[in-house]
Amino acid sequence: MKQCEMLVIGGGPAGLSAAIEAAEAGVKVIIVDANEKAGGQLFKQIHKFFGSSMHRAGIRGMNIGQELLERCEKLGVEIWLDSLAIGMYKGNIVAVDVKKSLTEHKLEKIQAKKVVIATGASENAVRFPGWTLPGVMGAGAAQTMVNFHRVLPGKKVLMIGSGNVGLIVSYQLMQAGAEIVGIVEAQPKINGYAVHASKLTREGIPIYTGYTIVEACGDERVNKAIIAKVNPDWSIEPGTEITLDIDTIAIGAGLKPLIGMSYMSNCHLMNDRFLGGWAPCHNYSMETTTKDVYVAGDASGVEEANTAIEEGKVCGIAIAQALGYLEEKKAEQMKKDAWGRLAGLREGAHGAERTAAKERQLLEYKKVMEG
Amino acid sequence: MKLKETGVLTTADLKEMGRYPSEERMKKGPVAVAECVQDIPCNPCETSCPFKAIHVGENISNLPNVNVDVCNGCTTCVAACSGLAIFVLDKSYSDSVGKVSFPYEYGHSFKVNDVVKAADRSGKNVCDGKILKITNTQKADKTTIITLEVPIEWVDEVRSIYRDRQQQLVKEVLSEKLGDDVMVCRCEEITAGEIRAAIRQGATDITGVKLRTRAGMGLCQGRTCEALVNQIIRQELGNSPEEIGFSTPRTPQRPVTFGTLGGDLDE
Repeated sequence: MKQCEMLVIGGGPAGLSAAIEAAEAGVKVIIVDANEKAGGQLFKQIHKFFGSSMHRAGIRGMNIGQELLERCEKLGVEIWLDSLAIGMYKGNIVAVDVKKSLTEHKLEKIQAKKVVIATGASENAVRFPGWTLPGVMGAGAAQTMVNFHRVLPGKKVLMIGSGNVGLIVSYQLMQAGAEIVGIVEAQPKINGYAVHASKLTREGIPIYTGYTIVEACGDERVNKAIIAKVNPDWSIEPGTEITLDIDTIAIGAGLKPLIGMSYMSNCHLMNDRFLGGWAPCHNYSMETTTKDVYVAGDASGVEEANTAIEEGKVCGIAIAQALGYLEEKKAEQMKKDAWGRLAGLREGAHGAERTAAKERQLLEYKKVMEG
Repeated sequence: MKLKETGVLTTADLKEMGRYPSEERMKKGPVAVAECVQDIPCNPCETSCPFKAIHVGENISNLPNVNVDVCNGCTTCVAACSGLAIFVLDKSYSDSVGKVSFPYEYGHSFKVNDVVKAADRSGKNVCDGKILKITNTQKADKTTIITLEVPIEWVDEVRSIYRDRQQQLVKEVLSEKLGDDVMVCRCEEITAGEIRAAIRQGATDITGVKLRTRAGMGLCQGRTCEALVNQIIRQELGNSPEEIGFSTPRTPQRPVTFGTLGGDLDE
């Protein structure tokens, strides 16, 4: 069995940042990542990020991903690609399914002194007649196709959901040459940032607030979508149906944390709708209720890449400290700075609910540990 | 302000909030307008301005304030704004035409002196515009800035180039598909009706539905359908998320072959 000081499950913004902070202090780190390239969602985030200069604001996500990978390489962080963590056992043993070739897989076991769960989140589906037709997909899936694999999922796209994911992916599909037929939002108001919505409206994209998708039609593939106004009790207002000529439906209905590893390592989970549902609670070092198991990024509650990076840093610093690579005073100051940057990212009306939810997680951790 | 409903800000909204430069100022020369009215944690406009004309402050979710006396309309912030929400307006050009500079991140074949259809904030074609400048700097990192010359009365409205969208809206009658026929678990092909039947048989949580129907036991292990099953239980019984629970994660998290699990014989 392979032994290491620190094992990071998931090489996205959170996992890479955790690895970098720890490796900088001298910790030997292994990252396992299920994909052929590490970076998580960063390489499909071709837009410039919000934040301030200390969070790399104004830089495109893909460039941040490149920078993080280069730093990992320089620091000698070992990254296992095509390596899917399939289970976690007592004693911090993680089972990893490593793809050696198209047909050959090998099961490896890694035992680590400290484990960081940075597995990210998965997309929520929406149920309507026809949602299983080819051409109906998650907004994140459409973004992966267009920005990572450089394949346009369709020419005439209907987006379901006006959160930041729905708005940003719509914009990027347009940049790649697709037409956005419309954006449907069941709530009376646009969910994401208005600046993202305005980028689309000035190109003439209609945003149907107060509408829902009623049905996706088509035989071999979706070719029509029927949308209609929703009443406050979620019933359809008869006579308001609109049929749209489309070839793709992308669903941006939010994300939920991937909790498999957290559950299997016996972390205490709590449900909070502002963080996407079930997620492990943790302390100020991002350590879960299971000793030596840490969590960062969307796996600890759905937010965005900048907060994932900062949470990852907290993990890396805390682990370096716990393993004796960083002296306490310095580590505590570094953690405090990272939490300060996190607070900055959670400012504003859009962040208030997440700030409160994150506080509930910290409180729950305390309650559980004090028993 | 209808911004949250429509996604379209208006000049009147901005004026009402005191976030729009005066006629007098625009007549003096180019000036930036930050059409940013939500407290987003973001400040590249402030840090990019070579003249320190934009102030956000320590709390980065403050709205940006443009000091119109210091701003000279250099357009650096137009490309720096991650929300593409800053424009430079100029009514000093002549009595009849003015200039609007805006960010543009689409592939295009426009050239300087081309006459294009100009679009307002809602994407409507309001007038023609002549392209005066197409700017691409390394610092702008692929965000092009286009400067259009438009009739002076449209400077306050033009914010992009019009795109022709031929989308026909047709009224149509809904098909008679019943909600019960809709697929919920696509791996195991379980419909909403079967989930509801399981609930009538006594299932009150994800596990109960799973044991009765196999929903969530397929290839994706409930990744896709769990939230949908959750929703149906909530609708039918009004249970809380804690009562509904989640699909118990087990090894292996994703399908692996027996060969992989068993490992090499000599191990």
